[in-house]
Amino acid sequence: MKINRNIPKMFKIWFVIPFVIILIAAAVFTGYAVSYKDVSKGMNIGTDFAGGSVVNVVLGDSELSDNNKYNAHLDTVVGVLQDDAIAEQVVAYAKENLDKTIDKSAVKATVSYSQKSDTGANMTLVVKYDNISKTYDPTNELTEKRNELIVEKLNEIYSAENGYANASVTYSNIGATASESLIRTAIISLAISLAIILVYVIIRFELWSGLAAIIALIHDVVIMVALTIAFHIQVNSSFIAAMITIVSYSINNTIVIFDRVRENNKIEKKLNQNAIIDNFEIADRSTKQSMTRTINTTVTTMFAIVIFAILGASTVREFALPVIFGLIAGFYSSVFISPALYALMKNAGDNWKRARANKTNPTFVGQKKKKNA
Amino acid sequence: MIKSKSIALPIVILAVFSILIVLGTVFAFVSLNNGELGIYNYNAYPTCIKLGLDLSGGAYAVYEVDRDNLPESMTDGENDEQEIEMAIEGTRASLESLLFNKGYTEAQVSVYGDTIRVEVPDVDDPERIFDLIGRPSSLEFKEYTDAETVNETLMTGDEIAETGVTYNSETGYYEVALKFTSTGSDKFAEITSDLTGKNLGIYINGEYVMHASVSETISGGQCSISGNYSYDDAYALAVQIQAGSFPLQLHMRESSTLTATLGDSAIKAGVIAGLVGLLLIIIYLIAIYRLMGVAASIALAYYTMTYVFFLSVFPWVQLTLSGIAGILLSMGMAVDANVIIFERIKEEYAKGKSMRMSVSEGFKRSLGAIIDGNVTTIIGAVVLMLVGASTIKGFGITLLIGIVLSMFTSLLITRIILKSIMTFHSEKDVALYALKRKVESDEAAAEETAVGEEAQGGAAV
Repeated sequence: MKINRNIPKMFKIWFVIPFVIILIAAAVFTGYAVSYKDVSKGMNIGTDFAGGSVVNVVLGDSELSDNNKYNAHLDTVVGVLQDDAIAEQVVAYAKENLDKTIDKSAVKATVSYSQKSDTGANMTLVVKYDNISKTYDPTNELTEKRNELIVEKLNEIYSAENGYANASVTYSNIGATASESLIRTAIISLAISLAIILVYVIIRFELWSGLAAIIALIHDVVIMVALTIAFHIQVNSSFIAAMITIVSYSINNTIVIFDRVRENNKIEKKLNQNAIIDNFEIADRSTKQSMTRTINTTVTTMFAIVIFAILGASTVREFALPVIFGLIAGFYSSVFISPALYALMKNAGDNWKRARANKTNPTFVGQKKKKNA
Repeated sequence: MIKSKSIALPIVILAVFSILIVLGTVFAFVSLNNGELGIYNYNAYPTCIKLGLDLSGGAYAVYEVDRDNLPESMTDGENDEQEIEMAIEGTRASLESLLFNKGYTEAQVSVYGDTIRVEVPDVDDPERIFDLIGRPSSLEFKEYTDAETVNETLMTGDEIAETGVTYNSETGYYEVALKFTSTGSDKFAEITSDLTGKNLGIYINGEYVMHASVSETISGGQCSISGNYSYDDAYALAVQIQAGSFPLQLHMRESSTLTATLGDSAIKAGVIAGLVGLLLIIIYLIAIYRLMGVAASIALAYYTMTYVFFLSVFPWVQLTLSGIAGILLSMGMAVDANVIIFERIKEEYAKGKSMRMSVSEGFKRSLGAIIDGNVTTIIGAVVLMLVGASTIKGFGITLLIGIVLSMFTSLLITRIILKSIMTFHSEKDVALYALKRKVESDEAAAEETAVGEEAQGGAAV
């Protein structure tokens, strides 16, 4: 495989593609936000961040230990959570008491997970689901109303007449498990890592490599988020872990290429001491020299995580897909974005240095004034 | 004689690594119970990895803020609700860090209105939660005169930063060590100077617990309560005091066990993905790099086993779904250094160096890139450990173990194995290592690239 074109020189094409992805994500975001008439629905945010409710159905181990029975009960509960009649009642309640018109789809619960709690005769089926969006329901009044209706309906199903003498149904509210402080410290630590990595790369390489590497990293995270929005994948606290994973791994790709740039610059300086170094050529040569390793490493990293995504249930995919997006974005940025950025910035820097060295001061100041005017 | 000696060492090295890998694999999958092999029961080490809430479930407790027993500052009519909200958040944070310090990095503490919900993974008895965080209560220091008189509160528990158990070798008993916050240290120094020669009492939830005589002004911000305690007594008191250091008084509303939300199917998917992924990586490496790929594969197998082993013995590791994915990714990244090195070796050989020369050049020349790449990742991991909270911290630790291990295996082990394998081959066996010289026309082109910069620029267009 031989590419004869200079890759970094085609930066106009490479820089457009990420923006197209971001635009698509923005379109999807707006689409969801408009269809739900709710900005917070633009991104599929899970109960880890938003909090939610749980309904507890005490059925005892005789009903819940067996997997088939468990699944049947789970189906019943999920059916009630998405019951049309309940949704209609909530919509009517909102109209009557709060004077709000809400779409039925906005009040139907989305299940995030189910589990069992307690043991023996007290064994309980616990199902967690999202609350009605704060946009419609700032005081949680509608969510409470919906939860009451859900419990009422479940009590009808799990009544003594239907053979469930000891069953009982309750609900409770659960706050966000990914607390604000967790997200805050995650963002702070990411920012600090970026800053220290930037300083390290500048010391070990050069200013332009550092800046290009950091921009590439930010690109990776932004593209990862954008694709997650575009595919409307649910975001839970594992997404924070996914982002950190990508940031920590994807810097490697860029560093390997910049290591080649560093080496090629040295060779170039030895060979033609006075000539002007063509930064685009150096960046291109370094990218191509590292290409096989960039591809091989991306492939080996992809193997297991792709299989995991294929085998795993939806929750597994929620985590694995953003990671795969991030890996692709990392490959893209290290080959197409950071070398081009480096060459562009380095050229600008070199030109500026040359201008300062060659031109007499008055002309330089004059130029600057012109720019300001 | 000399020749047989030079072959003996590589054979020993390769044999040792093969045995280690076979043993590692066997012990990863086989558990020995019921004294099948003597006295001890052995559980396959991957099963000893502590798991998070999503994979293994745990226990939960829900606490409610006691609105009738709020501190004075929250009932004086000034920003009361705001102060209570802040105090709840403070309680949440201290619960979280308390659980983290006990190794429960994946414990979750969430707040809803006046309730605080604590979920602790890998615990099958809700009572364990209380062993860990105590029964949250309020703690007050008062002067103790006699059992009947209740004096005014001098200090509350939220000035305590940490509690612990220490052993006093002079008395042979355990003591409860208290460490105060900076404001707490000043306050405690003032109290103890006022009370020198008198008794200081500790009250939990308004009830008398114990008293101790004050012998001197304690100004260092630390003190210990000695009372001829056994370890268990001292620990119980320490937990009780720690629990009393929450800013608010809490009542437990409910507690019970929880099963995993993902459970076995996710773990199974992870194990299968790991094994198949490992196999694919090995096939890929061998297909591309032949015997060099074999060396990298042995190092990779070694990496995977040691990594899983370390995760099972390290504290602060509680594996969740994202942790599994992290291990899967790390396998691919662990061979990265080898891929860099092998590409370099191929390049050096193509340029005309001898096989062995290319290998040592390849290792030497790629070291810079590998170290720089890994240092940046290490920086990230260390910052996560230092700055991040709970689960983020745990993630940083897992990441760091992985990077350090992978550097060790990919630089050292691969090199030892590759050199051992190479002793069995001579210069003419290069095809086994997927090495080849550059073809004539390519060589000319390479020269052009290296020297004629202007010509290259022209050719590129």
